[in-house]
Amino acid sequence: MKIDIIKTLFTRFLSSVLTLFLLVSFLFIIIRLSPGDPTDNYISAKLGTELSEKIAEKFSLNQPITNQYFAFISNIIRGDMGVSYNYRLPVFEVIWQYFSFTLVFASISFILQITLSIWIALWVIKKRKRWLDNFLTNSSIFVYSIPAFALGVALIYIFSFNLNIFPISGLKSLDYDYLPFFSQFLDKLHHLVLPLITLSAGGVALFYKYIKESMDELNSQTFILNLRASGLEDNVILRKHILPNALRPLISVAGIELGILLGGALITEVIFSLPGMGRLTVDSIFSRDYPLVIGCVFTAGAVMILANFLADIAKLRLDKRLIKGILN
Amino acid sequence: MNIKILKLLLLSLLFFLIISCNSNQTSPNSRIIIGISADVQTFNSLFAFSYEESAIVDLLYPGLLDFKWNSEKGELDTYPMIAQSWQWSEDSSYIKFFLRDDIFWSDGTKLTSADVVFSYDIFSDPDVQSRLFGTFDYLYTDAEGHIDIEKTFKVISANEFEMHFPENSIADLVKISIPVIPEHIFSNIKRDQLASSEINFNPVSSGPFKLKKWDRNQTITLVPDSNSFLFTSGQVSELVFKVVPDYTSRILQLRKGDIDLVELVKVEDMNDIKAENKLSVINLVGREYDYIGWNNIDREAFSVGKIKPNKLFGSRNVRKALTMAIDREAILDEYLLKQGELAASPVSRIFKLAFNNEVKPYEYNPQAAKRLLAEDGWKDENKNGILEKGKEEFKFKMYYPVGNPLREYAAVIIKNNLNAVGIEVTAEKIELGTFIHNLNERKMDCWMAGWGIPIPLDLKPYWYSDPNAAVLNFPNYRNFEVDKILDQLETKISNERKNELVKVFQEIIHNDEPVTFLYWTPNVVAYNNRIKNLSITPYGVLFHCWEWTLDK
Repeated sequence: MKIDIIKTLFTRFLSSVLTLFLLVSFLFIIIRLSPGDPTDNYISAKLGTELSEKIAEKFSLNQPITNQYFAFISNIIRGDMGVSYNYRLPVFEVIWQYFSFTLVFASISFILQITLSIWIALWVIKKRKRWLDNFLTNSSIFVYSIPAFALGVALIYIFSFNLNIFPISGLKSLDYDYLPFFSQFLDKLHHLVLPLITLSAGGVALFYKYIKESMDELNSQTFILNLRASGLEDNVILRKHILPNALRPLISVAGIELGILLGGALITEVIFSLPGMGRLTVDSIFSRDYPLVIGCVFTAGAVMILANFLADIAKLRLDKRLIKGILN
Repeated sequence: MNIKILKLLLLSLLFFLIISCNSNQTSPNSRIIIGISADVQTFNSLFAFSYEESAIVDLLYPGLLDFKWNSEKGELDTYPMIAQSWQWSEDSSYIKFFLRDDIFWSDGTKLTSADVVFSYDIFSDPDVQSRLFGTFDYLYTDAEGHIDIEKTFKVISANEFEMHFPENSIADLVKISIPVIPEHIFSNIKRDQLASSEINFNPVSSGPFKLKKWDRNQTITLVPDSNSFLFTSGQVSELVFKVVPDYTSRILQLRKGDIDLVELVKVEDMNDIKAENKLSVINLVGREYDYIGWNNIDREAFSVGKIKPNKLFGSRNVRKALTMAIDREAILDEYLLKQGELAASPVSRIFKLAFNNEVKPYEYNPQAAKRLLAEDGWKDENKNGILEKGKEEFKFKMYYPVGNPLREYAAVIIKNNLNAVGIEVTAEKIELGTFIHNLNERKMDCWMAGWGIPIPLDLKPYWYSDPNAAVLNFPNYRNFEVDKILDQLETKISNERKNELVKVFQEIIHNDEPVTFLYWTPNVVAYNNRIKNLSITPYGVLFHCWEWTLDK
């Protein structure tokens, strides 16, 4: 059995590598066929075309596309994604500067989304009040349909501009360096409250709806009625029998959501001036920074694959019978 | 049990908060915060390509000379900076510079003539590909544009050197004054590796400020350099550039007092800002204008090396008619709330002595436009509402880049105005990168865009017939009389003669109307009144910002 697991894990690893390879190859061709040229940024009244020609030569942009592709593939095999045209630094060095923030920010938001949605669903079920249930179900649709930019701007206007409770933007205050360690931590937390609400509100609403519907469905199943008839406490039934089963469909969606979050949250990052992957990716697309675009998409693809794999493992923890299906 | 744990946690939090409050460290007492929309990628003067980069880096690396905007004349006056004085030779074949004796780099090393000479060498080096590469044609250079140091410079002492010019070279002081970078730092790095070197992020500077801290995509903090020759005791203790990409957020922070100065404020926000006692606004008009570009020549013929007038826009009468058919005043009144100014040529009113007052913008007159079009053979013979000339109907696509609400608004007005005189226009917006690429490749016949005007005025890159000398002549405008004037402007003539020539140039351009000059767009700068000694001119917003002080 163990050898089988290792074999299937290895196969899954290979298929993931192949997926990423196809992704970057496809992207390489698409962005080079799309209109625009990175060297256009270096043409100006003062400079003429000399500099743009030099830069095209330096980054081999004047080579045939096939030569560029083979050079790109051979570099990738050696683990080199190239140098960003704008930053003039190795692509992964640039990405790390932004991904580190996204990793923390997305993880906190993800944990918030999962825990809050489960907590609210459990609370509603325990309360057993129809009006509360209806109110939260309808509110969740409303919250989910609010665009992030509208929610972000509204939160800023109310809580930052009018009430002056939270900062409008940024990751830390200007006096951050003058604060002691614990205050620095609180300062960052203070700055992240509104962005986290903006980023997580939709997710909480979505997960709440998923989990609540699953719980309602399970609540009327015969095995739950049997458990109740056998005298088990409601709390025990809820935690040990309903919740684990209700979580299963949520986990697949959560895996995808985590992948998306780790790929960057463009709108939240722009509104609150946060240094995340979303801004980096979009800026690199607009400035035609080809190596950086590929690096960002590669990172987003890799985290999506990893997040789905983690979701599968989580499902496995809940039900060991799923092992073969997941590994294949 | 749970409540006990919660109490314990709250107590610990309180404890930490009390410890935090007992810090002896203090924050700076005078700080000016400037809101910017994008972060920089480098602090290396060689590669400061973007507007934000050059504005910040120029505070770290001053040039040989200083320039101030003379609003009476509408031109730059020259003042000493690193060079305390200079002397032209009698035949203008060389210039001798005398450097100040009290300039030190932020690491304590003295700035000398060797640094200046080294700066010219490295800025012109093809292996470096700096932001000034290819612009040293007024000095002795090799075929690749690299300055011949031996022929060009003669170092006399640590504070004196001569700069020699080839015969017929026209060097003006603005061109000559490039930022000076430290030889003792940059010479230790291989030139082809400079772009990715650590020095890009840890500059050794000589300006009034030095870099204190850079939080990527958050803030750039500059502090006064007490070793600098520009240091004064009244200087603010920190100049912070805060990166806020979202416009609404920038304005809210300005109004809340989190930011002290913001550029490019939308005109519709001016009244709200003015209403706040603590804020002021300045409207700088005359550095940028919007225009509709008409390709004057036939693209297909041009691609095979032939010059043939464009079948729609080749005639000056048609171009004039197109301008007259557009109600530019309406756009100015309704969208720009009268904060801009109608444009008649590429020379704005700010260049007072060179501006031709006789050249007036064409008035909105659809009837006159129809008459001009009819004179040129464009008539609606088949009564389908669209003008035609032979079998050719007057219809075309007008492209403009996404992300500019003014142009989106103007596109609707322009389309409707031209439809009213029998011209069918399809307005199509495209992504900015694609738009710029199509402009450079001359792939469009009609487009709407904007142009910035350099100071000092430089018209050749936009209006000269030879595409190699005029990379930005996107309309492919050709007029040999204009070429003659632009060539003459590059000869050794007096400023008065130059101004006369520029006035004639405006008349010719106005008569040819190679593009439809729409309006000079406003650059509204809003700032907090607590900043004193501001001197915001068309030459720059951060001009002499080391002289800014704060109201106590």
